[in-house]
Amino acid sequence: MVRRYLSAFSAREVWEMKSKKVFVIGAFALALLLGACSSSSDKSTESTPTESAAAFPTEDLTLNISWWGEQEAPGATKWLEETIALYTKEHPNVTIKHVLQTTEGLVPAFEAAAAAQSGPDIQYFWGGIYAQQPGWDGNIVPVSDYIAEDELSHYINAKMEEGFQGKIWTAPWYVNPSFPLLVRKDILAANGLEVPTNWDQLMNVCDALSAKNITTIAGGVKDGWFGGWIYSILGAQSVQSQADVINAVVGNTKFTDPEHAGWWSKLEESKKHKCWNDDINSLELYQAQQRFVDGKAAMTITAGPDAPNFAKKAGGDEKVQIMAMPAWSDGPLAGKMGTTSQTLGITKWSKYPEVAADFLKFAHTSDRLNAWFAATGSMPADDRFDLTQVTSPSTKALFESAIQGAPYLENFIPAKLDTDAVFKNVQLVLKGTMTGPEAAADMQDQMERLRTSDRKLVDNFTAWAK
Amino acid sequence: MKINRGIRRSPLEATFRYLLLTFMAVTALVPGYIMFTASFKTQEQFLRAPFGLPLHLSFGGYKSAWTNNFPHWLLNSFLIVTGSVIATEVLAALAAWGFARFPFKGRETILGVMVSLMVVPPVVLLIPLFQLGVELSLISTLRLVVLIYVGLMLPFSIYMLTNFFKSIPESILESASIDGASSFKTFKSIVLPLSGAPLATLAVVNLLWAWNELLLALVFLQNNEKKTLMVGITGFQSRYSLDIPTVMAGMSIATLPLVIAYLFGQRFFIAGLTAGSTKGE
Amino acid sequence: MTLLRGKKEVAGVEMRRRPLLRSREAALWIAPAALVILFIFGYSVITLLIQSFRYDGNWVGFDNFSIVITDPLFHIALKHNAILLITVPILVLIAFVLAITLFETRRGMRFFRSAVFLPYVLPIPVVAVIFGQIYQLHGALNVFLESIGLDSLAQDWLGDPKVALGTMSSVIIWKEVGFGVILMLAHIISLPNETYEAARIDGAGFWRTHISITRPAILNTIVFYGVIEAITMVSWVFNYVYVMSNGLGGPGNATMVSELYIYRSAFQDKAPELAATAAVFLFMATLLLMIAFFRIQRKSIAGTFNK
Repeated sequence: MVRRYLSAFSAREVWEMKSKKVFVIGAFALALLLGACSSSSDKSTESTPTESAAAFPTEDLTLNISWWGEQEAPGATKWLEETIALYTKEHPNVTIKHVLQTTEGLVPAFEAAAAAQSGPDIQYFWGGIYAQQPGWDGNIVPVSDYIAEDELSHYINAKMEEGFQGKIWTAPWYVNPSFPLLVRKDILAANGLEVPTNWDQLMNVCDALSAKNITTIAGGVKDGWFGGWIYSILGAQSVQSQADVINAVVGNTKFTDPEHAGWWSKLEESKKHKCWNDDINSLELYQAQQRFVDGKAAMTITAGPDAPNFAKKAGGDEKVQIMAMPAWSDGPLAGKMGTTSQTLGITKWSKYPEVAADFLKFAHTSDRLNAWFAATGSMPADDRFDLTQVTSPSTKALFESAIQGAPYLENFIPAKLDTDAVFKNVQLVLKGTMTGPEAAADMQDQMERLRTSDRKLVDNFTAWAK
Repeated sequence: MKINRGIRRSPLEATFRYLLLTFMAVTALVPGYIMFTASFKTQEQFLRAPFGLPLHLSFGGYKSAWTNNFPHWLLNSFLIVTGSVIATEVLAALAAWGFARFPFKGRETILGVMVSLMVVPPVVLLIPLFQLGVELSLISTLRLVVLIYVGLMLPFSIYMLTNFFKSIPESILESASIDGASSFKTFKSIVLPLSGAPLATLAVVNLLWAWNELLLALVFLQNNEKKTLMVGITGFQSRYSLDIPTVMAGMSIATLPLVIAYLFGQRFFIAGLTAGSTKGE
Repeated sequence: MTLLRGKKEVAGVEMRRRPLLRSREAALWIAPAALVILFIFGYSVITLLIQSFRYDGNWVGFDNFSIVITDPLFHIALKHNAILLITVPILVLIAFVLAITLFETRRGMRFFRSAVFLPYVLPIPVVAVIFGQIYQLHGALNVFLESIGLDSLAQDWLGDPKVALGTMSSVIIWKEVGFGVILMLAHIISLPNETYEAARIDGAGFWRTHISITRPAILNTIVFYGVIEAITMVSWVFNYVYVMSNGLGGPGNATMVSELYIYRSAFQDKAPELAATAAVFLFMATLLLMIAFFRIQRKSIAGTFNK
């Protein structure tokens, strides 16, 4: 009874005092605190404590979802609209609208909403730092305040990427195995080559194919994103865990230390062995991947959720093998598929966070999980998803590898370091105007600068590491 | 337009001239040609022959370019351009008349400063105006964008109209004030009718600028349904970067109104843009 | 431009009789426009100044300034703006040559003039996308160069950091040159007939005529165009860079410019105070250009008023 009153009170109070920022933060924090206290004492019940605490709102309400993902998991829009339709059938007073953002526009649109303290109720975030930062900035409420721990524990990568001081910021939605290497077995066979199982073998394949003017790996770095991918699949191989990366960010170690610098030299090596298409610097990522489908390259790297689609387009399991990047080091993560989950979070200004959370939970019911796989061919971020329905062996292997995969490094460095050091230097190394060690040194310089210009960085990351 | 010429030249010089001009024309026209022809091809056709004419017209590009938000973008561009151009015309005409008609102390300085504001990079204004827009909940509203556009277009507009108004013969104005007309009446019934051409020219110049503007629209119109055509097209490119015909079709639609206006209104375009510079001669 | 020629009446006499009333009335006419301008420009600049001294709501003195001034990326951005400025003389020269060529051409002049001006009308995003396709390593330009046997000239126009800024400049020049041609051509055409009398009598050649007669005759237009384009290179290139480099200023930092630096600091790095500081720097730089522009215009403004 008391709990119900408190939650209702906080929702209304927040709405009325929307313009007084400080007061809102204070009131909300108080409400959360009280809400959290009440929910933590109820772990044994099946439904979430806040559900029983607050009756589902009966008035007409609208939820807005701002998201991304159709770009890497085609079919997502269809699934989302279906899910919305099913949910609103069960809850007729709820209207849900959604907006698919562009890749460049996703973050700026959210920043604008955050500055205005109004906008979507549910917001899409890439994992790791991309979900942590809005939490640190106070723009989202932790989903762990509205979804019980045992439910959240099934969400893949929730703790590793979105965990912060006992909270989980956002709810994983679908898994992004990061990043599969797609190999055209037929092209290799036609040239008398076998699928490489380690780095040196890969370099040999590059030599052999480039001698015949065949592109080994098709890539495009003009728009930058690919650089981050390469960092993750090569860089992860020499660290022990994501904690190593965070340590370099806060300054306990350096990006020029061997475990962080080694991969740059490997990248340089791949250029020397002519692994890449010669126009990698003037092509955008999606344009380059098309070459693989067209049979003009032996390999490419795709977004995890999209890999099965690419494989199918290029000829199916017979012709295409999906695998992790061959290992160049013997670190614990080498040869392992990276894993990250793309997530959905609840914004701080949402008037109906409990409804938003309910919708998120609805997305994890088994019917919806299966529907996601059917619509997109990619894996939903829930370990309750029944893998037996995955018939393609390569896809199944891909999914399984992503459940206990290596951390996706790009998600554990500041976003600015990613664009300014990783994207940029990958472009330059692949162009041949920068060496591996130079790239590592530049990354370290940028990190040092960033620690002074972003004055909250060290504190936030240090707290995250704990 | 009489062209001063008449000096006999060697035929070699004529060849050189035509060669240069042809090269220039080709360079100027080829990109537009590529855009337009690509919009009617399929992806494979384009990749195989970027320069060739489309073998048979394929409208797939146009179909997928005309997505559910495209009409909104078109409408938004139209509304913003109309609103800001009209507002600028009115405000600039009033102010220019104030500068032209009434000599007052510091007139030149104030006018000079106003006109020099053309030099300020829009990005400098972006951040404070954006934050203000956020506080006033005016982000993703067309009105704020119109206001900012007007502010940016005013300096040049005032300058151009002041130049023109000052050139209206005093005798015409004299006769009006002898009749007892107030300066507002003079303005309305004598000056405005005379100003048809420069006002039209100014409108066209401003229309061009506002239609093509990207940066401010990008920042102030976050909501997908409120974006202008330019912003929508820019985002287009990354989402459909695989599908060149679609991108080119979108571009063609975005450019078409301007090209048509340009072909029919060349005189105004050119006259308007030269207005600011040729000084009284 | 001035479509009616003013008669040199002494209207000023009447005006001098009632100066006070006049200036009050002038204020009424000018006020609405002045308010808008004051708001848009004045508010912004003052807010920027204040913001550059604060962080997260607190005064931090010159902290932001020292961060921005020591940022190598900011230096690179300014350097690139400076390099773009250097292309202005090239731009002006090309415009001049095209203008005099058009002037000497009777047949087809209108067609060529329309053609040269068309790029100026096109929206920048459109232009950037098309050239983004043309300039790819295996794009239309290199295909063309190879087909005429000049493949040694083929470059990675967009992907090679050494040429990327040049590639960007070429697009800017392509688009802006038409404006200069029209300006200069209009001025040349309006020159009185006697200008070229001496040359005609002497039988002077193409270059001599134009270098020694046309150039001095239209010098103020040439300078005006130069100043306008200098302003463009500092303040109005954001659109080109943003679209052609996917917002990154790449490859590497090869096309980073101050406007992009400001935009990214504010909207991607979420450091509005640093963006404000950089904007203050940029504004001070353009202040110099503003003064130059003001001086040039002052002569012309005074000229029109004293007719």
